[in-house]
Amino acid sequence: MKRKVLSTSLMILLLGTTILGCSSGDSKTGDADKGTPSGSTEATTYPIQTDKTLTYWGEINGNLIGVKNSHSEIPFFQKWQEKTGVPLKFTAPPTGQVRESFNVMLASGDLPDMLEYNFIGDFPGGPEKAINDGYILKLNDLIDQYAPNLKKYLQDNPDIDKMVKTDSGSYYVFPFIRGDEYLRVFQGPIIRKDWLDELGLPVPETIDEWTTTLRAFKEKKGAAAPFSVVSKPRFFNDSGNGAFLGAFGVNRGFYQEDGQIKFGPAEEGFKEYLTLFQEWYKEGLIDKNISTADTKSVDGNLASGATGASVGNAGGGIGKWQPLVEANDPDAVLVAAPYPVLNKGDIPKFGQLNQGYASEGTVAITTAAKDPELAVRMLDYGYSEEGHMFFNFGEEGVSYNMEGDYPKFTDLLLKNPDKLAPAQAISLYARSSYNGPFVQDKRYAEQFFALQTQRDAIDIWKNTQAAKYNLPSITPTPEESSEYATIMNDINTLVDEMTIKIILGNESVDQFESYVAKMKSLHLDRAIEIQTAALERYNNR
Amino acid sequence: MSNRQSFRSRFVRDFMMNKYLYIMMIPVIGYYLIFHYGPMYGAIIAFKDYSPMKGILGSDWVGLKHFEEFFNSYYFLRVLKNTLLISLYTLLFEFPAPIILALLINEVRKRTFKRVVQTITYMPYFISLVVICGIITDFTNADGLINRLIMMLGYDGQAMLQKPELFRPIYVLSEIWQRIGWESIIYIAALMSIDLEQYEAAKIDGASRLKQMFHITLPGLLPIITIMFILRMGNMLNVGFEKIILLYNPVTYETADVISSFVYRKGLLEFGWSFSSAVGLFNSVINLVLLISANYISRRVSQNSLW
Repeated sequence: MKRKVLSTSLMILLLGTTILGCSSGDSKTGDADKGTPSGSTEATTYPIQTDKTLTYWGEINGNLIGVKNSHSEIPFFQKWQEKTGVPLKFTAPPTGQVRESFNVMLASGDLPDMLEYNFIGDFPGGPEKAINDGYILKLNDLIDQYAPNLKKYLQDNPDIDKMVKTDSGSYYVFPFIRGDEYLRVFQGPIIRKDWLDELGLPVPETIDEWTTTLRAFKEKKGAAAPFSVVSKPRFFNDSGNGAFLGAFGVNRGFYQEDGQIKFGPAEEGFKEYLTLFQEWYKEGLIDKNISTADTKSVDGNLASGATGASVGNAGGGIGKWQPLVEANDPDAVLVAAPYPVLNKGDIPKFGQLNQGYASEGTVAITTAAKDPELAVRMLDYGYSEEGHMFFNFGEEGVSYNMEGDYPKFTDLLLKNPDKLAPAQAISLYARSSYNGPFVQDKRYAEQFFALQTQRDAIDIWKNTQAAKYNLPSITPTPEESSEYATIMNDINTLVDEMTIKIILGNESVDQFESYVAKMKSLHLDRAIEIQTAALERYNNR
Repeated sequence: MSNRQSFRSRFVRDFMMNKYLYIMMIPVIGYYLIFHYGPMYGAIIAFKDYSPMKGILGSDWVGLKHFEEFFNSYYFLRVLKNTLLISLYTLLFEFPAPIILALLINEVRKRTFKRVVQTITYMPYFISLVVICGIITDFTNADGLINRLIMMLGYDGQAMLQKPELFRPIYVLSEIWQRIGWESIIYIAALMSIDLEQYEAAKIDGASRLKQMFHITLPGLLPIITIMFILRMGNMLNVGFEKIILLYNPVTYETADVISSFVYRKGLLEFGWSFSSAVGLFNSVINLVLLISANYISRRVSQNSLW
């Protein structure tokens, strides 16, 4: 009998090896007041004299995949250490696995001094929870004392200040700020202008015009997939901001209307959108492989002329696709189309519009930091005048030259001798083309968008009412966060399934109501309640 | 008491005699202790609200909360059903495939042909899974290789990974393609050990090749087949989730979403360490039950078993 018990328990132990294992990790208690308060703000002179090395965890910009493998090889990061005087040791998660790596790092309890991460979008429970759980420091006192540049910026821009704080007024990161309206819109519908001209069609504005146009692309231009959009990781990924959906008055997430919070996929407009796309799909106006379409296949379809319309960015869309389509067809021209509406002359309700404060590319200081004061002083550099130029344009004489008082990128960046695209070359010497702890400068974009079509695109896409309906970056309280995450996880899975099944015609549009009923049974109302409370807290900040 | 005493003295005597053998065992035992038994302590977090900053012992106990959350989840039944079905189909179709291949290869008399077949069939096993899934996606596209062939026969092509009803066949077939060659190696090795005199004797008695196969080869393979089968049962629910995640999309969730991919989406991406380990524990317990019952049945039926 005894032996049997023993062997059974041994077997349990053996099999149990598949179970997620975790090391205990030293429990560290958050201690925000490591520095001695001195009362008034100290101005820092750079480079700082220090013999300490700080550790820094952050992703390498996607533009540099295949160009450089680590932070230490990238001129920008080398110079950054030189200019601030603080030596840094970098660790980078594998591209595309940022969230998983971050998760594993947290679970291991082994934290670096600084973390570059999106604490609003990618940290369940949001920044407030990250502070409460003891991962990152509340920075209020530290910023007061050692970050005069950031402090001044926030004082001068109270609307940004409101976004950078949590509901309870804690600062938690060194933010990435889009310094101009012009930088907040960068995505929308894109279409082949040369085809339109050839077919004698205008740039489509209404849904009906779009139908006509796509039909013509299919029938007269032989396009096999007239309209194709990236569907990874979520179906119709780039439409989520409101492209096409916006014409029916909804988007893919939560929005505010008449003082109420609504969830797009549960509204009547979403049904009309599904009806339209189901018809388009049936008629062959949408890519047949739409549910598996990734960046690679959309690129391929545009290059080969199978696709004539998509949704993308001015930089990463038009900028990337224009040379691809040209290679195949020298006359090809891609231009931006306005966000579609139902009736000519309407202003679409939704479209891509980012906040002035972008939650990605922000840097937090962890509770494990050896010297928070030094880290704060080092990070404050990005908001100084000198740091502003360095982050946006790189080094004078190498990556830019002053023409009058206008920083002009050199040919090293715009016509790179190693055949790097401008987006790649800029990422080597500056951070303006993506994000980071600094204020982004409009003058970068004016040069980065080398093509007139790209510059025009911003003006075409910005004509929406998104500012009125979009929610600011609100977060549930730490207590509500896991409940909210569970609810939205189930609902998002359901919406993804519903959207694609109906569009592909696997299910009829009549099923829409039963899907909405299911969303209700998964506690959509509770999620809306949590969001409403969060919005209220935000407005009271 | 006296029993233990005598055990100790016996052990000491044995140790003195086989010192070096015992020393050689240390790394092996160490490996299991450190990498297999050690981490199991972490399974406690399934019953806690784990927070790395508080540590495993410092986190609060929550009892069966995470198990309840999993069982009450809207998708629980679907996920469980998919896991069981995919495992079952793999067992039914993929498990016998290498055995059949081994038997066929065994019948081939030409050595070079044999080698070529073996090399070609086990090649896919060494290709990275990401590449494999890329190949599968390309082949099953609306204008991919397979659809071109179907269209040549006069049927309509369709994007196969967009059809929920085709997901499981694609999964199982590609599984066979990936593993058939590699897994047949063990059976081919077993075939080598069958006494050739038995074949001689059978031939003299006038047995055809088919008869030889059924009466000599198959019985000779049976013990190893049973062992492989029991081992497989212990892994029944561990459907390869990397492959599922690389191949599925929201249209095919209803047939493709399995426990591990569900946990990946819900647990890992949402930082639910405790939730994931609760589901992992549940998974392991079912695997254990399956393994023990397979072993028990096999011992009763064929006197062939792992222990």
